[in-house]
Amino acid sequence: MGNDITILIGGKAGQGIQTIGAILAGICHDAGLFVFSTDDFQSRIRGGHSFHLLRVGSRPLSAPSIRPDILVAIDENTYDIHREKLMSSGIAILNKNGGNDGDSKGNIYRVPLQDLAAEAGGKIASNTVAAGVVAAVMGAGLDRVRAVIESRFEAKGEKVQTLNLAAVEKGYGQGRDICFQSPFSFDGEKSPDHVVMAGAKAAALGALAADCRFFPFYPMSPGTGIVTEVAANLGKLPVVMEQAEDEIAAVNMAIGASYAGIRSLVATSGGGFSLMVEGLGLSGITETPMVIINAQRPGPATGLATRTAQADLLFSIHASQDEFPRFVFAPGSVLDTFKTVKRAVMLSEKYQVPAIVLMDQYLTDSARTETNDFVVGDEHHSYIQDTEMYQGETYHRYKITEDGVSPRCLPCTPHALVRVAGNEHTPDGLPSEEPLNRVAMVDKRFVKLPAMTRELRLPSVFCNNSSFFLTGWGSSKGCIMEACLHLREEGIDAGWIIFEDLWPLDAQGLKDMLTGKRLIMVEGNATSQLGTLIRTLTGIEYLAAILKYDGRPIYPEYIVERVKDIQAN
Amino acid sequence: MTTSIFDTDRENQWCPGCGNFAILAAMKQAFEDQNLKPRDILLVGGIGQAGKTPHYLACNMLHGLHGRALPMATGAKLANHHLNVVVSSGDGDCYGEGGNHFLAAIRRNLDITLLVHNNQVYGLTKGQSSPTTDLAMGTKLTPGGPTSTPLNPLALALTAGAGFVARGFSGAGEQLAGLIQEAMNFRGFAMIDIFQPCVSFNKINTHLWYKERVKDLGDTGHDPTDLPQALAVAMTEPGTQIPTGVLYRKPGVPFQDRFTVLKDKALTDYPFAGDQINDILSGI
Ligand SMILES: Cc1ncc(C[n+]2csc(CCOP(=O)(O)OP(=O)(O)O)c2C)c(N)n1
Ligand code: SF4
Ligand SMILES: [Mg+2]
Repeated sequence: MGNDITILIGGKAGQGIQTIGAILAGICHDAGLFVFSTDDFQSRIRGGHSFHLLRVGSRPLSAPSIRPDILVAIDENTYDIHREKLMSSGIAILNKNGGNDGDSKGNIYRVPLQDLAAEAGGKIASNTVAAGVVAAVMGAGLDRVRAVIESRFEAKGEKVQTLNLAAVEKGYGQGRDICFQSPFSFDGEKSPDHVVMAGAKAAALGALAADCRFFPFYPMSPGTGIVTEVAANLGKLPVVMEQAEDEIAAVNMAIGASYAGIRSLVATSGGGFSLMVEGLGLSGITETPMVIINAQRPGPATGLATRTAQADLLFSIHASQDEFPRFVFAPGSVLDTFKTVKRAVMLSEKYQVPAIVLMDQYLTDSARTETNDFVVGDEHHSYIQDTEMYQGETYHRYKITEDGVSPRCLPCTPHALVRVAGNEHTPDGLPSEEPLNRVAMVDKRFVKLPAMTRELRLPSVFCNNSSFFLTGWGSSKGCIMEACLHLREEGIDAGWIIFEDLWPLDAQGLKDMLTGKRLIMVEGNATSQLGTLIRTLTGIEYLAAILKYDGRPIYPEYIVERVKDIQAN
Repeated sequence: MTTSIFDTDRENQWCPGCGNFAILAAMKQAFEDQNLKPRDILLVGGIGQAGKTPHYLACNMLHGLHGRALPMATGAKLANHHLNVVVSSGDGDCYGEGGNHFLAAIRRNLDITLLVHNNQVYGLTKGQSSPTTDLAMGTKLTPGGPTSTPLNPLALALTAGAGFVARGFSGAGEQLAGLIQEAMNFRGFAMIDIFQPCVSFNKINTHLWYKERVKDLGDTGHDPTDLPQALAVAMTEPGTQIPTGVLYRKPGVPFQDRFTVLKDKALTDYPFAGDQINDILSGI
């Protein structure tokens, strides 16, 4: 099995619990271990309760775990809130003075983090002390720990670096005395084949690799993280970002820029996406490529601002009045996010349709070890038709073609007049209410659909002859996979079916694939939206549904328990 | 009728006698006076009678959603700031549905020309009140007149920091063509609020009503570099005199100059930055 533990670090917003996790993840990554972290935080800047989960494994991890082996309580509340979840073999480290004891939920160690930090030279470094404690408990060598601290604080100057080195050693000294059952071997080396990354960064890099150059945005969690990652590369690339006055402006800016020849992407969350819907239709009828990333959070309206959900699937497929072809994707991992965003940009350009990528708070914020397959590829290839640009008055932006895709030119480049209208239009782009033309134009847009459908992949299937299939989509992929493997270890004959390409789907292909299979839907919404979609497309009814809409990720443990409940009934 | 290289063969849908015809003619004249060709210009239209203007001009055209012409123009301009962009919008489109974008475009100092065909009514949707409708004007939906006080677009633009603010009148075509040309040559946000009679739905602010009140600022010794003076003109008691011409002209830093990456060339002129992106990816 290999070693596999989870560390829960809890405290108040503003106490820097993520920093502790990031240092620990760095130490583990340097030793070739695999990490998976998630953040659970409130929509506030100070106070309240937040926690960071860091899972570390000697084998690849595809999901977080909610059962900590090490519980680090930075504030008073954390232990009480999480002690029930602590493994019986686990330990708790409390930020306190006093001795060590234990209870039915494991051993308790008290470490006065602030005092130790003060001894090291400054209370500000108390998180570094905490990282030192846990690193020692996990079995990391001091050299490794020091190396991570050195590089992490290098840019902050020698004084800060020295303080943190002293602090981490203070913590390390304390941690060595703590007895923990499952220490790791930290003898391995960092693998060049692995990177630790969160979904937000992968989305940003995917967009850049596909030659997106314009990112108009209006801040909304959890979409903001994506554009923040784009901003980190400003100055290095021909990229423009603009904070729009609202999401309506953002989406219309994206369309304007795309019309003028720049690939544009807007990242937002459900509320912002709702405001963008009329613009989505404009992209549809004007056949102007554009990618929208909707990082889902629970709604409707403001909902739960910093939490996660998978409840915008059907909305994304149907958003906007009337009908037009579009792509909808929901990547399942961080690497999938990079690849999917690239593909979405490319397919949007190729077919001149909008593409929507569904992410969520869980996927954007959780950092994990991924195979380093983050490469440019050829998605930047241009579909703009240079030869047509010289065609002067005869150029028609909406020329009727066999595949529905018309030659695309850019305005004010040599001669062609590029006329685009959100009104129904004739091939030259000028508005027309003529009924035959209207039909021709709707048909022209929909002629693209078969080829678009062929571009998309049917869901991945694991253990094709299983007695039932955990069936889900997007970000819960890893949790479903892990739950499935866990069930199989227990002798339960589970398989999985996971969708990452969601629209347009090949209904017949899907029907052939799913006929005779018993589906247990696993989704982050209250009505089983994928189950509804499958039924609509294929007539196939799912057997049961594990639905989670509490705003938290669908942890593997939860799926396993619920499958057993379903089996018991 | 004289012919122009900017003519299109589309049937014009405006009502006979509509002030928009004169604005259209003034635009053609302004374009021709600058020796521009159809391919040189990008017209961005809002939705409404005013927003239809680009349909009747042989230019590049981007015609999108009600109220959203300015964000579209912003995107196009960031993509390729060499584009010569003229936006045709209405009082409802620009000051109502798109009001937030109007303020944002001014603050950005977006380097475009904005023509607001201000007929003080929603024309295309048959005569509802607009943000500039007179309180005394009853409409089908607001029989007792609008419930909101009319907006002063010129004062609003000036206080928000617009660099070029002018008032035109469709009945003064020569002056208007000159204003449009001047606005197009201004580096930065240039707006002209153009009073335009709507013969079908505005029975108060008629051609004659405007004609009796307009007064060319050029004849008054107005100093368009003086902001307090410009504001005083903008605050002229509504319904008394209508000063026309350039109220204010002061160049500032246009939007595109606020982006280092656009200093050397337009975003569209850069090749794909594959090597730099590979560097970023190999550094992760
Ligand atoms: C989202 C949306 N809301 C409403 C409309 C209907 N609509 C079209 S034009 C218009 C008002 C136009 O008024 P104005 O901008 O003053 O233009 P005018 O017709 O007077 O030139 C409205 C409300 C629309 N097209 N889209
Ligand atoms: S309704 Fe008014 S604004 Fe519209 S075309 Fe007729 S006269 Fe002109
Ligand atoms: Mg109007």
